[in-house]
Amino acid sequence: MVDQLPNRGLETEMLKEMGFSSIDDLFSDLPEHVRMSEPLPLPPPQSEEEIIADARRLLGANLAMGEAVSFLGAGIYRNYVPASVFQLITRGEFLTSYTPYQPEVSQGMLQAMWEFQTLISELVGLPIANLSLYDGSTAAAEALTCAVRVHTRKATQSNTVYISELVPPDRMSVMHNYCQGAGITLKVLKHNADGTLDIDSVHSAAGSCGVYVEQPNPLGILDGGLTQIKEIIGKNTALIVGVQPVSLGLVEAPGNYGADIIVGEGQPFGSPPTGGGPIYGIFACSKPYLRLMPGRIVGRSIDVDGKEAYCLTLSTREQHIRRHRATSNICTNETLIALMGAMHMSLLGPEGLEHLAYRNMTACVLAKQKLSEINEISVPHISSAHFNEFVIELPRSAADCLKYLDSVGIIGGFDLNRWYEGRNNWLLVSVTDQTKAAEIELLAAHLAVWCSMKEVFA
Amino acid sequence: MVFDEGGVCLSRLFDFAGGTGMGYSQPEPLLSKNKVTLPPNLMRKALPRWPRLSEPEMVRHYTWLSRRNFGIDTGFYPLGSCTMKHNPRVNEVIAQLPGIADIHPHQPEHHLQGLLSIYHEMQHMLAICSGMDDVTLQPVAGAQGEFTAVRCVQEYFRKRGETQRTKVIVPDSAHGTNPASAAMAGYDIVEIPSLENGRIDLEALKAVVDDTVALMMITNPNTLGLFETDVPEASDIVHAAGGQMYYDGANFNAILGRTSPGLMGFDAVHFNLHKTFSQPHGGGGPGSGPIGVKSHLAEFLPSPVVKKRPIVGDEAKFAVDDMWYTWYEPEHTIGKVQQWHGNAGAIIRCWAYYRRYGYGLKDMSEHAVLNANYLRHALHREAKKADVSHMFVDGAEAEVAKHEFTISLQPAKEAVGVSAMDVAKGLLDMGYMAPTVYFPLVVPECMMFEPTETESRDTLDTFAKDFAQVLKVDPQTLHEAPITTPVRRVDEVYAARNLCLKHPFDEE
Repeated sequence: MVDQLPNRGLETEMLKEMGFSSIDDLFSDLPEHVRMSEPLPLPPPQSEEEIIADARRLLGANLAMGEAVSFLGAGIYRNYVPASVFQLITRGEFLTSYTPYQPEVSQGMLQAMWEFQTLISELVGLPIANLSLYDGSTAAAEALTCAVRVHTRKATQSNTVYISELVPPDRMSVMHNYCQGAGITLKVLKHNADGTLDIDSVHSAAGSCGVYVEQPNPLGILDGGLTQIKEIIGKNTALIVGVQPVSLGLVEAPGNYGADIIVGEGQPFGSPPTGGGPIYGIFACSKPYLRLMPGRIVGRSIDVDGKEAYCLTLSTREQHIRRHRATSNICTNETLIALMGAMHMSLLGPEGLEHLAYRNMTACVLAKQKLSEINEISVPHISSAHFNEFVIELPRSAADCLKYLDSVGIIGGFDLNRWYEGRNNWLLVSVTDQTKAAEIELLAAHLAVWCSMKEVFA
Repeated sequence: MVFDEGGVCLSRLFDFAGGTGMGYSQPEPLLSKNKVTLPPNLMRKALPRWPRLSEPEMVRHYTWLSRRNFGIDTGFYPLGSCTMKHNPRVNEVIAQLPGIADIHPHQPEHHLQGLLSIYHEMQHMLAICSGMDDVTLQPVAGAQGEFTAVRCVQEYFRKRGETQRTKVIVPDSAHGTNPASAAMAGYDIVEIPSLENGRIDLEALKAVVDDTVALMMITNPNTLGLFETDVPEASDIVHAAGGQMYYDGANFNAILGRTSPGLMGFDAVHFNLHKTFSQPHGGGGPGSGPIGVKSHLAEFLPSPVVKKRPIVGDEAKFAVDDMWYTWYEPEHTIGKVQQWHGNAGAIIRCWAYYRRYGYGLKDMSEHAVLNANYLRHALHREAKKADVSHMFVDGAEAEVAKHEFTISLQPAKEAVGVSAMDVAKGLLDMGYMAPTVYFPLVVPECMMFEPTETESRDTLDTFAKDFAQVLKVDPQTLHEAPITTPVRRVDEVYAARNLCLKHPFDEE
């Protein structure tokens, strides 16, 4: 315990120099009746060796996806993060810094974030990106409130946004929490039986503040119809697109088909799944949204000698200045994880990104092909192009199938009944650049076994 | 090679445009690329103009950047209100174990018993330290914790039919996130002035409290580092009118094991785990902002929280002890504030930090307070020796501070025209991170120091001497400071007027 408290053993001397006799004197300002009278009922301190042993035991009881064969995605994806990212992020100058309030000694992080903004801007095809929000869901939620701030005065459907009905309930719940305080109504946009957005339903969103759709959508479908939305809703309604950033190595940047705000889970760039956090949310937008957007942003400037220098800018949007009129309450964000993302993107380069996207997509093509060969299984959206994941329809419940697959060491995917009521037999199968052909074969073989069973497995 | 105006070689990411564009080699795709088909209108026409770096170039670029950045590892970081303490490195090793790094939030419970047991242990520990009944670890930052707690209170009152409660009270010395979080939930903000010494004004509070108030938000110790002795009275006043009391845990590092928000009469609290415990803050995040609540608010917490029950059947083969840890959805849950299970990686680091102290968390807080008071004492002592004690005064009259304290450089400003910002920049030249400046606003030319418990007396003494030396520097030189840093004073007005938010490339 001494290792973390350099002044242990010096307490008396230090107190004496200040004219105090005991540490209690430093807490004499606490009113008697609020003082804790008993020691904290917690276990004794542990040494570093004991802590790491306990950590290994407890975390070892978790099943790491790498120890199994995993087809679980649904928003968080297994991916490869290059070794140099993990090595560089441990540099204490990055790791242990705070928000760059003193730019003169924070140029490294500021420049890295300005470069991150550029990488994201180029990736999504919009001129402005902030330096991260908490995750994809909060980025999407903040995009909705941002769209309302920008458009509600001129909107014929004021305080109203339209959201794809496929958006998972957990993400929708975050949106609801962020939007309800501003009195924003969330309306849904319908999808067709083939999983694509019902473009006709988009007409109902004209005159509202924003439309939120995802590309690929939560069923993994790459939907060509989304490129028509902007023309339908016009410039006074924001088109907000949620993306899986790796897909943009092959798929058109939404900024090039009219998106005004682009959000997404940055996680596949730079971060392992980590149980869903810390990861980072991408937020990019076009110029009309700049002054009402959430989050921090870095600008390039000059110092008093005219040298290139970087600093936080447009801070008057933020809570520490604007308080209750701020565009968001965000203060702590996910800068360090965004930095890992920047490092990963830098290493990829344009061609590396395209190659990575091909790896993800070909794995999807192969898996779709193999699983659709199983007689009892159908692929409801087989004619669509998919990224990372697709739905298979099973002869019996997906929950039962997952139990069987688990018993043979396969994390089989995501039971869509958890998102969509009545979809008991829909399994969302995810593949990434980490999926091997042999693993797809193994999944197909075991699915065939499960399908041939006469009764429920568990 | 690119050089700045001063002839210093710069490393700029978007100057790397050559090479193969593959900084790390990848396996071939599982099928040939022509097997991939996309709707024609979705084919990307031009790849992003990302740089092309080999691994050695990339490593050198980011190493170069890191050398232009200051962290706790670099030196003393007395940034008030931010609790920049040492981050034990074992925590980083633990956070990279596959049992945390390579797990998916949607995995079934029997795959995650280790994680869930750690969540349960953390919920339990935080409840004990704060005097609350239930805890959720889902919020991922302090501000999100505030927002989450405000939402729980909001739904609590809606359920009770008390929809006339539309106001949240915050003192003018509060962190900006307090009013911002309450406003995001849809509340009207009532700001009450602090007394001249920065403390809560009970008369001002009484004047605004009625049955339209949902919540009062307070930090204790307050943003001046002083314990608000009147908080129990404030709590009585608000409760008498049916309102709720919210404890902003940003300054929780000062009081663990000495008092608790529960004892002070609060109904809800957020923790900044990255401050009170340990999660390297990496340029502004990540963090973790769990909240604790009294039992009447527990069923409104975001979903899920972790509960435990005795194991049954063959659960033993997955269990970490004789209990089964399970996700629980509170009956009237507000839903989710982050899509997954919070910042699990940060929570693991904080768990490791907590395990290092156990019941000794009290020692941690005592040393944080010891060091703050000692630094305050040493600053005055060294200023006297150097004959500069006329340059500043305490930000607030108080016999003892808690984990941080303020001074006012107003005397220096009036006497020689040296501002708090000048002194801050002078400290950068001495190799220190500057203390927080101009916050809280109630102290003119404010400078706020928080040394934390992980600094040695020698460091505090040396810093105090150097601080006095900075005050001896002639004003003109201080206006010019810093001169030893990678860049000198950055023109923030220029940045805002000539917005350059990304690399301009050639054509723009």
